[in-house]
Amino acid sequence: MISQYSGISPKGDLILLKRLGDKMRGKSFLHVNSTKAGGGVAEILHRMMPILDELGIQARWEVIEGDEQFFDITKKIHNALQGNHETITKKMWQHHFEVNKRNMETIQLDDVDAALIHDPQPAPLVEFKKSGRWIWRCHIDVSNPMKEVCDHLFRYCGKYDAAIFSVARFAKAMGIDEFIIPPSIDPIGEKNIELSGNEIHETLATFGIPIDRPIILQVSRFDRFKDPTGVIKAFRIARKYNDCILILAGSPATDDPEGELVLNEVKDYASGDPDIHILLLPPFSDRQINALQRIATVVLQKSLKEGFGLTVAEAMWKSKPVIGGAVGGIPLQIVHGVTGFLVYSVEGAAFRIRQFLNNPEMARRMGERGKEHVRQNFLITRQIRDYLSIWYALENCGKGTLGCNV
Amino acid sequence: MECVTILKSTGKTARNIRELRAVIAFINDESLFHHTYQYFLKGHVLEYTNDFAHWVAESLEKRELSERLSCIDPFAFEDVSHLRQKLLQSIDDYIADFPEPRDAIPGAEFYFNETVTIVFPVGMWAKNLAEFLLAVRYVDPASIYYHFYEARIRHGTDDFSTWIENVLGSQELAKAICAIDPLMHNIEGIRAHIVEAVENDVRHDMEVIRP
Repeated sequence: MISQYSGISPKGDLILLKRLGDKMRGKSFLHVNSTKAGGGVAEILHRMMPILDELGIQARWEVIEGDEQFFDITKKIHNALQGNHETITKKMWQHHFEVNKRNMETIQLDDVDAALIHDPQPAPLVEFKKSGRWIWRCHIDVSNPMKEVCDHLFRYCGKYDAAIFSVARFAKAMGIDEFIIPPSIDPIGEKNIELSGNEIHETLATFGIPIDRPIILQVSRFDRFKDPTGVIKAFRIARKYNDCILILAGSPATDDPEGELVLNEVKDYASGDPDIHILLLPPFSDRQINALQRIATVVLQKSLKEGFGLTVAEAMWKSKPVIGGAVGGIPLQIVHGVTGFLVYSVEGAAFRIRQFLNNPEMARRMGERGKEHVRQNFLITRQIRDYLSIWYALENCGKGTLGCNV
Repeated sequence: MECVTILKSTGKTARNIRELRAVIAFINDESLFHHTYQYFLKGHVLEYTNDFAHWVAESLEKRELSERLSCIDPFAFEDVSHLRQKLLQSIDDYIADFPEPRDAIPGAEFYFNETVTIVFPVGMWAKNLAEFLLAVRYVDPASIYYHFYEARIRHGTDDFSTWIENVLGSQELAKAICAIDPLMHNIEGIRAHIVEAVENDVRHDMEVIRP
């Protein structure tokens, strides 16, 4: 499988991956998150497991089970960490812990050499750590969290050996090593591989979307932080002089109880406009999303808060001109004016849509630069390289060491 | 050889020039190293030569200080402590002229990071100039960075010109590569200049009419 990345990923990443794989061969690497489907974390883990396996590492992915109340609580924690005001009672925190404790009956923690625990839902698992290096992986924008919620959660996080954040601004003083690793996309996964023109057109026909006009696209969960209504407002401004259509496409996630509510809000807001296509795709609709991104003229990710916003990298990988909210990890992907445009308002998004639609040469140039930027920085091989490098560094380099040789 | 760097947060931030100065005064060498020497690992170097100059210009809009900081050549110093003194002196001079601090907007603070650097061989060797040219065209940007920039910290000059002079005995070519301004290009620009210097050297040798 790794050989399939040859000629796509940077050569050095593949060489280092092999070397690190040789060092870690036979060791066990546990990942725990809270959903098998929906959202960027599950998607990356689906792709990462077979690669780790091929490197000779015994990779295991466990998903914590929880009841409806648990996911309501963790959604509140998630929102509070992203800055919303939420009330999380002592009883709720207790339930959060108890569900994690209950999961210990099924998740095997013996003989773990390294564990990567993703996001707040399974964070309390560290209380049951038996062996190995434990790292907490935060995918959320915690740059401006509700303090009480953050403090409570970080009581668990401070017990890890290290933490990983996607963006430097998200890192918090927890008294442990804190690394910055952006997430990634898989260039040979269903969502990003090349598709034939036929397949792309068939997909659009299936959804009943015409291809006679430029297409503006946003792919994301139906979540208020992704500002789907803001996208519709921007589209309506841009459409005044530029005949185009808008597609809002997303999949539900099992750990997001608000998705349906937001979807209905967005449908209401679109109020039956025939040029606005709202698509609720089933989980694992990767090829369909791929097709939508490949046919799009301009791709938006107009988030108000964002963990990272990998749909930006996905679109850039397809050489598309991108417009993104200047939040979370989006500014790492969009170098303003070089690989796309960062925006701060509905009006800004509308203006950049119009600019791209009226300057196809500029759109093409930015799209090409964007693809190269993704190749160097946001492919899955780089992310696995970084995870293994941290694991290796924690075991071999020691704190404050400038460099170590592999 | 090639190196990859993994970012690590120091937990220190600065909102304005005075805070920037205060943190630069005590932050560890690894962090200063990252924000200056490793700036050239970025793919898109715009108009600055280190992260401090970039932030001061883009987030504080202090263009004059940015120009002064951008003019500091990190490779001109024996070690990071001398570079630290120069940075502090530039900021102090500026504060003496413009003492009013101005804060960056929330979220645009300067975040002090450091890196864990992993160095590893890429399994590529050059025995002559032709192989060297092929390799320079082929290797990853991180390898160019390691041999062109990071080598200067290890032994004062880049690995390429050292090898060309010491092993191939080509002083002219070594001099041409040495003369490439390290602060004025991104890594792809450095690669293009090295390739150009080697091709010029080969062309010159081919065109010489020997008696």
